[in-house]
Amino acid sequence: MVQALYRKWRPQTFDEVVGQEHIVRTLRNALTTGRIHHAYLLTGPRGTGKTTSARLLAKAVNCLAEAPEDRPCNVCEICQAVNEGRLMDLIEIDAASNTGVDDVRELRERVGFRPNLARYKVYVIDEVHMLSNAAFNALLKTLEEPPPHAIFVLATTEPQKIPATILSRCQRFDFHRISLDTIVDRLAHIAASEGIPAERDALAVIARQSTGSMRDAESLLDQLAAYNAGGITVEGVRAALGTGADASVFELTDALAGRDVSAGLCVINETIEQGSDPRQFARQVVQHLRLLMLVGLGSEPSLLHVPPAMREAFKAQAARFDPKGLARAVRLFNDAASEGRTAWQPQLPLELALVEATLPDEPQSPPPSSPPPPARPVPAPSPAPTRPRATKPPASPPASPPPSEAAPATALPASDSSVTLERIAGLWSEVLGALHGRNRSLEALLRSGRPVGVEDDVVVVGFEYEFHQGKASEDGNRRLAEEVLSELLAQKVRVRCALVQADAPSPANRAPKSASHAPDELVQAAVNQLGARVRDVE
Amino acid sequence: MMTNTNWGLIGHTWAVNLLRGAMERGELSHAYLFTGPPNVGKRTLALALAQALFCESDAPPCGVCRGCRLVASGNHPDLHCVAPETSSGWLGIDQVRDLGRQVSLTPSLGRYRVAILDDFERATAAAANALLKTLEEPPGYVVLVLLAPDADALLPTIVSRCQVVPFRGLPAAQVEAALVEWWHVEPERAALLARLCGGRLGWAVQAALDPAPLQFRAQQLEELERLLGASLVKRFSAAAEMARTPETVQETLDVWCGWWRDVMIVAGGADIPLNNPDMTERLQWCAQAVGVERAAAVVQAIRDAGEQIRRNVNLRLALEVLVAFDLPRVP
Repeated sequence: MVQALYRKWRPQTFDEVVGQEHIVRTLRNALTTGRIHHAYLLTGPRGTGKTTSARLLAKAVNCLAEAPEDRPCNVCEICQAVNEGRLMDLIEIDAASNTGVDDVRELRERVGFRPNLARYKVYVIDEVHMLSNAAFNALLKTLEEPPPHAIFVLATTEPQKIPATILSRCQRFDFHRISLDTIVDRLAHIAASEGIPAERDALAVIARQSTGSMRDAESLLDQLAAYNAGGITVEGVRAALGTGADASVFELTDALAGRDVSAGLCVINETIEQGSDPRQFARQVVQHLRLLMLVGLGSEPSLLHVPPAMREAFKAQAARFDPKGLARAVRLFNDAASEGRTAWQPQLPLELALVEATLPDEPQSPPPSSPPPPARPVPAPSPAPTRPRATKPPASPPASPPPSEAAPATALPASDSSVTLERIAGLWSEVLGALHGRNRSLEALLRSGRPVGVEDDVVVVGFEYEFHQGKASEDGNRRLAEEVLSELLAQKVRVRCALVQADAPSPANRAPKSASHAPDELVQAAVNQLGARVRDVE
Repeated sequence: MMTNTNWGLIGHTWAVNLLRGAMERGELSHAYLFTGPPNVGKRTLALALAQALFCESDAPPCGVCRGCRLVASGNHPDLHCVAPETSSGWLGIDQVRDLGRQVSLTPSLGRYRVAILDDFERATAAAANALLKTLEEPPGYVVLVLLAPDADALLPTIVSRCQVVPFRGLPAAQVEAALVEWWHVEPERAALLARLCGGRLGWAVQAALDPAPLQFRAQQLEELERLLGASLVKRFSAAAEMARTPETVQETLDVWCGWWRDVMIVAGGADIPLNNPDMTERLQWCAQAVGVERAAAVVQAIRDAGEQIRRNVNLRLALEVLVAFDLPRVP
């Protein structure tokens, strides 16, 4: 068994680390100037060089080469021991397996001993985010003031799980995703050195698939090299990754543009039958639609990665979509691509996305991606109103003037065109708001009342209880209310407080006693749907 | 049934070729991740790989030597199978730690130690993390094979350490031929099973040997049809009835989902293979009554209900919403 490419080609010098110039430069400068910190935290996505850099650092600080710039030399005893994984003073701890406080205590006991062979004892704690809380805390003192011969390097993909007290004791380095071109260059280098013939375009497909992770890219290269002894071609990569042909993507989006469900379903079926992976295909469709969206919005540079021959086709297709529908399609297919559950029908999410994306846009339709509300609309085809409604829709309280039984003469239409009951009712919350800053108790009083009528320039405020009415009628209170109302109406008005009867319709909390003899909707539904029988009518 | 041409597997030729080629060139990776739907053949291939590695003959796997037989009987000392515990349903950190210790020992019989981690999507986060270091740099004689339905269900750090071998469903024609040739299923039934299984040969074979799954399907579809014309009262009591047997609910939903997908396809007017090719008339009738949009909504509703139930919502409530309100009424 040979070593996997990603192990074989693990960088052995700082020069070989690609895509992380900001970190390499800092570490090198620290080495040449001799300003080596005692604790480092390396974070970043998978396969970007964290463990590699930790080992390089361990080599470099212990390397026996004369000039600091040459370290690590990979020639001296120490470097070779590290490369072969047998240096006693490089202690690599898998924090994911040794998560407990006892593991850390053991480490603490040993950290005091002088190194065996090298200058420094380097502790590399990998996957450090898995340490338990107690373990982290047990590490704090050691991490802050370790013995002069100890260096800690913590590595993790999930820095948000590291306690702040640990973070503040470490120099933190954030590794970035590696750019497409950098990965392609590195893969080309590896392929050439390994004697694997590879098309550059095929390597680009690999690099795109690995989304910035060098290890992913190297794993894929490894696998493809094992499968395609003749060399790595775009078709070979496609077959292994399960990506569909670009032509199928075009056909599918064509069907979408023409809102042709049947054609779209056929394309999906065909592509899957040819061995494409549904999820991959969904991702491709999303990428394609996204490009169309950008082109539709007039962003020409987004076509840079598209072969010149295809650009016109892209533009023509983009013209067939409206931006809203396109955005919706992107969202639907994106959901299909990221769908977590794997049904036994892998193509189903794609088919659903297609059908939904071809439906005509409805103005008030909710975004399809939102989780379904607990209760859904009633099935359409049932003739009878099936959905029993708990309450009648409450009439909006202030807007509708209550019947005239309580307040005398309220029904009078406002003589002044600008002061109407509707207007005051609309302003009522503002009135309360304005009072909030000036007199809280009056505000509270007025909350238990409501405007019930307008007589010339007199606004009638109705109260249910005599106490409230009396309080509000007191000179000071009344004047303040008049003042505020006048300000808001930009017109001088007066206020009169009236008593309205308690059983007067107060729309919010009293269901109107409708003529219950009429076959009520609710009763009807109960009879039709739930098999109820009318026994008595009160 | 053991043939040497394809390691005794039906289909998945490219995956077998990949592994065999790597073995012959001595380029076998130390970690593989087999992904694909259940019953598609992942475990079978993993065991075949173990046999090939342990086989003592010149043409591995021979199926008759000691190594091959020990694997087949599940007794090979260098083969470690880890699966989620039946009690908790999860693959825990202790199992992974044990495995780490076991694989660090040199092989007792052959040149390899093979570990097969079944249903790895059900490994706890702690267990998955604990495997990372072993998975990246195990001892030179170790081959780890992880099985999961989907690479996206695992930690990206796990996936990036493995060579991913995606299993895809077998073409229906291949399943049909295999059923007839190897399991002597009568051709008509084989054709139906091949269509129903969605490329999962394992399921098709089970269904061929045991009539229960097919009967179950027929029963559930009958029930579905009955419900479409039923009143709200009947629907509510049907939902309550279903909730009484939680273990079959997901299967029922799968059957329903397949049926409604067919309705959607028929209503959309697409001429592609259906899940239920034996029921075209009923599908036509239903498609005409509800239309493509509604059919898609029902598929979505069934999937949502299934997902909610998996997340442990009130079973009866979820079923009531689905059965009473989401299923359309087709007189």
